Amino acid sequence: MIAHVAWRLSRRAAVNLWRAPLPSLVSVLTISLSLFIGASFVLGLFAARALLTSWGAQAGVTLYLDKQTDDDKARLLAQQIRLQNPEVEVVYVDRAMALKRLRGDLGDMAGALDGLAQNPLPPSLEITPRVTLPPSGVRILAAQLGTVAGVSEVDYGREWLDKLEALARGLRVFGAGALFTVLGAALLVVANTIRLAVYARRDEIEIMKLVGATDGYVRAPFLMEGALQGLLGAAIALGAVVAVQKWLLPRASQAFAFAAGISAPNLAPEHWGALLGAGAVVGLFGSWLAVARFLKT
Amino acid sequence: MIQLFHVKKSYPGDAPVLDDITLRVEKGEFVWLTGPSGAGKSTLLKLLFCAESPTSGQILVGGRNIGRITQGAVPYLRRNIGVVFQDFKLLDNRTVVENVGYALEVLGASDSEIRERSLKRLEQVGLKHKAASLPRRLSGGEQQRVAIARALVNEPTILLADEPTGNLDPSLTDSILQLLFDANARGTTVIVATHDRTLLSRYRRRTVALEKGKLVFDA
Repeated sequence: MIAHVAWRLSRRAAVNLWRAPLPSLVSVLTISLSLFIGASFVLGLFAARALLTSWGAQAGVTLYLDKQTDDDKARLLAQQIRLQNPEVEVVYVDRAMALKRLRGDLGDMAGALDGLAQNPLPPSLEITPRVTLPPSGVRILAAQLGTVAGVSEVDYGREWLDKLEALARGLRVFGAGALFTVLGAALLVVANTIRLAVYARRDEIEIMKLVGATDGYVRAPFLMEGALQGLLGAAIALGAVVAVQKWLLPRASQAFAFAAGISAPNLAPEHWGALLGAGAVVGLFGSWLAVARFLKT
Repeated sequence: MIQLFHVKKSYPGDAPVLDDITLRVEKGEFVWLTGPSGAGKSTLLKLLFCAESPTSGQILVGGRNIGRITQGAVPYLRRNIGVVFQDFKLLDNRTVVENVGYALEVLGASDSEIRERSLKRLEQVGLKHKAASLPRRLSGGEQQRVAIARALVNEPTILLADEPTGNLDPSLTDSILQLLFDANARGTTVIVATHDRTLLSRYRRRTVALEKGKLVFDA
């Protein structure tokens, strides 16, 4: 009996969608638009996080050695660090090279260095991680290398990394809050859209209740319709997100210089599942809210 | 079968719609519920099929105190009560046979059983040949016969009719009432609310009269 009641309710849900295509279409499009905005937002957050991580990875560590350190000792130190930290690249910059670089950086003003009696710059070792490290990883590496004998000073762009970390933290908090708001708003919009569709069928609900239908029996086809609309909406949103990723962003990168670095992470199968699941849940919950009001009367 | 004890129904700020109604309807009885508009006839019927709850007093239907049953139990009570309205309350986008079968769907009957029993009821009300039609293609009298078929299709023990002939041409009244008398003859307890006193004199049955929410006559 349960099987044929379930089959009948499913059939009714499908027939109701077919008989009232316009309200169904409005619900599907509302869900797809809401999910598209939500998914784009999440992907934007992913991209921003990836961008911040890559900026952090560009921050290398410079170890300034004692001025008295000769070339042999400095090269030995570099070799030691390579052996102890195979995941980093170490480049030795001697004092002459450091002065030459400074001259290059100063450009026309390099003449000011001619008056110096001796080279004031210390030798240094430039450490670059081979793998992408988060700002916290760079900070740990710098602290570890700062204890090496012969190192007088460590520079790893501390302020810059602190700011980057604060930015990443803020982005996470803002992202969570904004995502919650976007999904909440989407749910309300969807619930109201479905409510309009349910309102159009209030007579049917009244008659169902009159002939002894339980609340569950009245609610079931509406929930099925809501879930189906949610899945359809999610599928459309998914298509739109993929289209933006594969088609719009590459063209935007070509057209605008500022967009050159923008790339959204590819959607994994679990993202597809999450989006379709979110659609079904929004549709179900929206229908539940919409029907609940009519069941009370 | 149906008992009301000192039933009162009132809405905040208004005079009571029903005031101290005590009434007993035996199993298999046919009762006219009459009175002018606003007397409380429809409200009394609504109390019986739990569309409203009494402000005070007790109502027993089939031995169950319906003032104390949970919301979840109401649908099961309604499956034993058929209701017919003045405005038919048929679904325009479903065929006649689908409208009648609606009451059986909620019981979990199979498709073949629903069709068979619905067609049987339609035959009893003389509309089997219109089974595939939509309600808007039918006359008012035919629509009310469909509504009666729907109310009787699951063989309820009680049939409540609220002004069932109120929207119909007087020439159709007799045929509609005959369907209600037939149901009563088969053992169904029938309560018909009407303000049409000519019906009461033409078809003499027990009559309960309400006026301004009070029971003023019962004989």
